[in-house]
Amino acid sequence: MKPAPFAYHAPAGAAEAAALLADLGEDAKAIAGGQSLVPMLALRLAVPEHLVDLRRVDELRGIEERDGTVRIGAGTTQAAIGRSATVARGVPLLARATPLIGHFQIRNRGTLGGSLAHADAAAEYPAVALALDARIETLSPRGTGTIDAAAFFTGLWTTALEPDELLTGVAFPVWTGRRGFAVEEFARRGGDFALAGAAVAVELDGDDRVRRCAIGLFGLGSTPLRARAAEAAATGEVAADIDADDVGSAATASLESVPSDLHASAGHRTRVGAAVVARAWRRAIREAADA
Amino acid sequence: MRAAAARYAGARVARVEDPRLLTGHGTFVDDVVRPGMLHACFVRSPLARARILGIDATEALAAEGVHAVFTAADLNPDVVEAWYTLIGRDVPDTPRPPLAEGEVRFVGDPVALVVADDRYLAEDAAELVIVDYEPLTPVPDYATAREAADLVHGAYPRNVAGDMAGPPLEQLAPAFEAAAVVVHETIHQQGYAQVPMETRGLVVEWSAPTGELTLWAATQSPHEVRLFCSRLLGLPEHRVRVLMRDTGGGFGQKVVPQREDMCVMLAARKVRGPLKWIEDRRENLMSAGQARHEHADARIALAADGTILAAAVDHVQDVGAYPTPWPVGTAAAVGMFFPGPYRVPQATWSTASVFSNTAGRNAYRGPWQMESLAREVLLDAGARRLGIDPAELRRRNLLRRDELPYFNPNGMPYSDITPLETFEQALKMLDYEAFRSEQEQARAQGRHIGVGTCTYVEPTTAAMALHATEGATIRIEPSGKVNVYVSGGSSGNSIETTVVQLAADALGVDIADVSTIQGDTAVTPFGGGAAGSRSGSMTAGAVGETAAVLRERIAAIAAHKLEAAPEDIELADGHARVRGVPESGVPLSEIAALAYFQPEQLPPGVPAGLEASGRYRPENPIIWANATHLCTCEVDVTTGEVRLLRYIVSEDCGPMINPNVVEGQIAGGVVQGIGGALLEHLAYDEDGNPVATTFMDYLLPTAADVPDIEYGHIETPAPGPGGYKGVGEGGAIGAPPAVVNAVADALAPFGVEITRLPLTPERITGLIRNASAPHGPRTTARVDDPNGPNGPNGPNGPDGPNGPDGTSSASATGGAISADVATSAGGESGADGVSGVDDASAAGSAGSAGGAVGR
Repeated sequence: MKPAPFAYHAPAGAAEAAALLADLGEDAKAIAGGQSLVPMLALRLAVPEHLVDLRRVDELRGIEERDGTVRIGAGTTQAAIGRSATVARGVPLLARATPLIGHFQIRNRGTLGGSLAHADAAAEYPAVALALDARIETLSPRGTGTIDAAAFFTGLWTTALEPDELLTGVAFPVWTGRRGFAVEEFARRGGDFALAGAAVAVELDGDDRVRRCAIGLFGLGSTPLRARAAEAAATGEVAADIDADDVGSAATASLESVPSDLHASAGHRTRVGAAVVARAWRRAIREAADA
Repeated sequence: MRAAAARYAGARVARVEDPRLLTGHGTFVDDVVRPGMLHACFVRSPLARARILGIDATEALAAEGVHAVFTAADLNPDVVEAWYTLIGRDVPDTPRPPLAEGEVRFVGDPVALVVADDRYLAEDAAELVIVDYEPLTPVPDYATAREAADLVHGAYPRNVAGDMAGPPLEQLAPAFEAAAVVVHETIHQQGYAQVPMETRGLVVEWSAPTGELTLWAATQSPHEVRLFCSRLLGLPEHRVRVLMRDTGGGFGQKVVPQREDMCVMLAARKVRGPLKWIEDRRENLMSAGQARHEHADARIALAADGTILAAAVDHVQDVGAYPTPWPVGTAAAVGMFFPGPYRVPQATWSTASVFSNTAGRNAYRGPWQMESLAREVLLDAGARRLGIDPAELRRRNLLRRDELPYFNPNGMPYSDITPLETFEQALKMLDYEAFRSEQEQARAQGRHIGVGTCTYVEPTTAAMALHATEGATIRIEPSGKVNVYVSGGSSGNSIETTVVQLAADALGVDIADVSTIQGDTAVTPFGGGAAGSRSGSMTAGAVGETAAVLRERIAAIAAHKLEAAPEDIELADGHARVRGVPESGVPLSEIAALAYFQPEQLPPGVPAGLEASGRYRPENPIIWANATHLCTCEVDVTTGEVRLLRYIVSEDCGPMINPNVVEGQIAGGVVQGIGGALLEHLAYDEDGNPVATTFMDYLLPTAADVPDIEYGHIETPAPGPGGYKGVGEGGAIGAPPAVVNAVADALAPFGVEITRLPLTPERITGLIRNASAPHGPRTTARVDDPNGPNGPNGPNGPDGPNGPDGTSSASATGGAISADVATSAGGESGADGVSGVDDASAAGSAGSAGGAVGR
C-alpha cells in the first residue's frame, strides 16, 4: 500500500495551479484534502504521474455571503463549513450534511471542492449542491467559468470539469421565507458512506402550501440525483395533505443503476431510500411550518 | 516467613504499559530499524486457483534498488522442519509451503518475494514480476466443497482436511423422539478476521560470521518463534534470538509463524542486510487468515417444561487453503463444549474441517465459539416454541454449585464455575422484569426492543506441550530494585502490569521498585507466551514459585542480621522485619548489598546474590471460567438498523489480579463479538475473490457502535495460584450469541428466527418480510408425560438414574466418547492455545478424570 512514483507540485496560486493542470493534462491530478485520493494512491487504484497539491493556495479558502448566495472557496475544509455561522444561517442544508461526512479527522482535511470534484454518488455534499442548484465555479488558462450543479455530475466519479479546469468555489443560493431543511441517511456505521441518503429543502407559503421544494438523493445511483417528479407532485400542495411516505415512494419509484454490493442490494438501498426521504421530508416540513 | 498482605493484587493498578503506549512510544516491529536493512514485498496471486506456468522476474530484478526476487524454487527447498511446538511434530498436519509451488490456492497466495532498498521500490518491482497463470476452477465455498469436482489439495479427497465424531447420533434417538420439542436449526456464521491493530511483520538479521540469527517479531509467543525458526533453518536453538516489546494485538493470528514469516526467515540468509517485512492492511485482510467461517447443524431435545434432554451438533468449518496451525483438533472443542454450562444428560457431536480456495483458517479468540452461538440461539428458539421465557428456561437447566464437579456428557470435567450466579447477576443488573415490561410498552408503540443472553463455560490455562509450564527469573539488584524476567508475548494483555503487581506483593516492595523484562528469548526463561487465556494464572504461578525462593533467602539473611528466627521475618514496604517489632526493619537494599558484596557475612548455607529462577507446573490440565453476556437492542424494522442499548457481562475469572485488566480484556472481546454479529464479514465472491480487503468494506465496530459495557464479577477461586482463571478469550465467545438473541427477541412478534450471520440491515429486513406468523407452541409439539422415559422424572430425566447426578453415568459417557473418537490425530493444542480441548488428549483426560470421580 505504497503509491507508485509521481512528481509533486505545490503551486502558491490558483492561476498557477490551473496552468499546471493545463500543461500536464490527463497525467496530472489535483489533490486537496486527499481523503479519497490518498487511499486510492496507496492502493495504486490511481496512478497519476503528477500531483498538483492545492494546500498552499490560500485564495481557494473562504466563506462569503453576498447577493443572495453563500460563496465558499473550493479549498475550504468540511470542518470550517461545519463551524461557519454564515453557512448555518444561509445554507442550513449544507451545515446539516457536514457532520455526516466521515469522522472529524476526515472533515479537518476534506474540502468542499474535493468532495464535489471526486463526485462520489454516495457522498453528502454533491447531493446538497444538486438539491440547492448550486453553481460551481472554475478556472482554467482559458478563463473562469461556472457550471450548474445539474450539469456537473456526469457519471460514476466523473464530472463536467475539463482536465485543465480547477474547481475554485461553489455558490449556494440562500433560501428565504418559511423554509425547512433536513438531511437523513442510513449507513452501516456512523461515518460510512450512506447506503441511501436524502437532502430535502422545502419552502411553504402563507397558506402552508409547498411553494418550492428540492429532494437530493445520494447512494442511490451512479451520480447524486434529484427526485424531480416527487418535487413536482408536492409543489403547490398543502403540506399537511402530503403523506411523507408517498414522497419517499415517489422519489425512489424510477431509480436506475442503484448500486448493489456487499453492504446492501439495490432493492434494500431503494427501500431504505424511500424511508430516508420520508424522514427528511417530515423534518423539513415541520421546520418550515414552525418558521 | 511470609509476605505481608497483598497490596496490589485485586487493585485497579494503572497499567505500566500505558505511558508509553498512550503517548505513541510503544516499540512495535516496524519501529525496529537496523543498519543496511532491506525491505520485502510479496507478489501475490490474483486468482483463487491457478497453475503457475512460469515466473519471469527479469524486469523486476533490473528495477531500481532491487536486490533479489525469490520464488518457491529458491526458498522452499531450504526448509528443514516446519512444525509448531504448540501442536507437536506428529499430528497429520496440513500443507504449508513457504511460497506457492506449482499452484496458487487463494487470492493473496504468496508467489514470489521481492527484496529492495525500501518498501516503495519493492512494491514497484513486485508489479514487474510476470507470473504466467493457467486458471483452474476454484473451490471457493467450503459448504459445497465436499461434493466439488475439484480439489484444493490433491492429497485430500472430498477436500476434507480431517474430521472427528463422538458416538453415533442414533444412540440419542430415544431422547429426541420422546422430546416435547426438538429445536433443530443449522446456524451459519460468516468468516471474519482477527484484525490486529498492528499487522504481521518481522525483521530478520543473519550474521554469517557468528552463525547467529536475530529476529524481531510481532508475536504472541517469542519462544515459539525461536524454536520454529531454529527448526525451519536447521540452526541450533541457542543461536537464534527473538525479540519483541509491544505487539499490537494478535487474537490468535500471531500464535505461530505463518507462511510469510517462513519466507522472510528463509530469505534473510540470502540477502546482504537485515530483512524487514511489514504486512500492509490489504495483505492482512487478504492473506493473514480467516476465522469463524462455519456452520452447525444443531439440535436440542426439550421436555415440555424446558428441561434439556439431549443435544447434538454436526459442525463443518472452512479451513481455507492453508490453515495455520492445524485446525482439525480445535474443531472437536465445538462438539465437546456444545452442552455448555447446562445439565445435559446426553450429547454427541461431529465435526469436519473442509478446505476451500480462500485464506487459511487460523486461531481466533475462543476458537470453539460456535458451540455457544449454536446452543444459545437454539435455547432461545426452544423457549419461544414452548412459550417459556428464555431466562426461565435457562434457570431450569443451568448447573448449580452443589452439582460440581460435573462431567458434561462429552466428559468435560467442569469445576469451580458459577453459571447460574453470573446469569442471575446479569439479569439483576439489567432488571430483567422491568425490561420485559418496557418491551411490552414499546411493542404497543410499534418499537422493537429485545434482550438476549449467552451463558458459557470455557477452558482456560490448558497446560499442555508448549503451554505445560511457565518460568520466571527474579533478580533483586544490589540496590534492592527488582527485575522480573518472563517469556512475555504481550499482545495487549497487560502482562507487564500483572507481573509487577504480583512480584511487588510477593516480595513486599513498592510497585515502582519492580520492573519486568519480557519478549527477549536471550534473557527470559522459556515460556509459551500469550495464548489460550493462560497468561494470568501461569505467570502468577511462575512469579510465585520464584519469589518464594527469594523470600526464604531474604528471611534467612535478615534473621541472621536481626538475631531472630527466619519464620518470624516478614517482608513489607521494602523492608524485612521481625513480626511485631516495626522498628526492627532492614531495607531490602541492605540485604541485597550483603548478598552481593559481603557474602562472607551471610548465614551458613545461604547462597550469595538475590537472583532466582523457578518454573511453575500446574496440577490441573484446565482451569474453567464462565460468564453470562446480556445485551439489549432496538431494531429499526424499516432500515434494518440494530442499535445496542445496554451490554452487560457478569463473569467469573476467579479473584481478579487487576479489575482494569479484566474489564479491558472483556471489553475487547465483546467488541470483536459485536462486530462479528453485526458488521464484520471477510466475504468472497463466487469466483473466490475477496471483496472486503480494506476498512471501507471490512467493517469494524467503532466506539459509536458499542454501548458502555457494564461489568459484574463473581470471584470463585480455581485450583492454582491465587485462584486466578483465564479471561482473555471469553468476551469474544459470549457476544455474538447475546446480540443475535437480542435481535431475535426484538423481532419475535414477526415470527423471525435467526440462523445466519452477520445481521446486516438487509438480512434483518429480509427476515421480517419473509417471516411467517408468530410461533406459538408448535402444533406438532408433543407434551411429555412427566413420568415418561424422557420426562423430568423419567430414567433419562435430570433426576433419573442416567441423569447428570449419576457420576457413573458421566464417567461412562466420557469413556465412551474417548473410545468413539474417530481420528488418528495425536496431541494437538487448540488453535488459540487451548490445548486441553483437542480430541485425543481431552477425551482421554476426561475419561480418566471421570474414572477418578467414579472411584
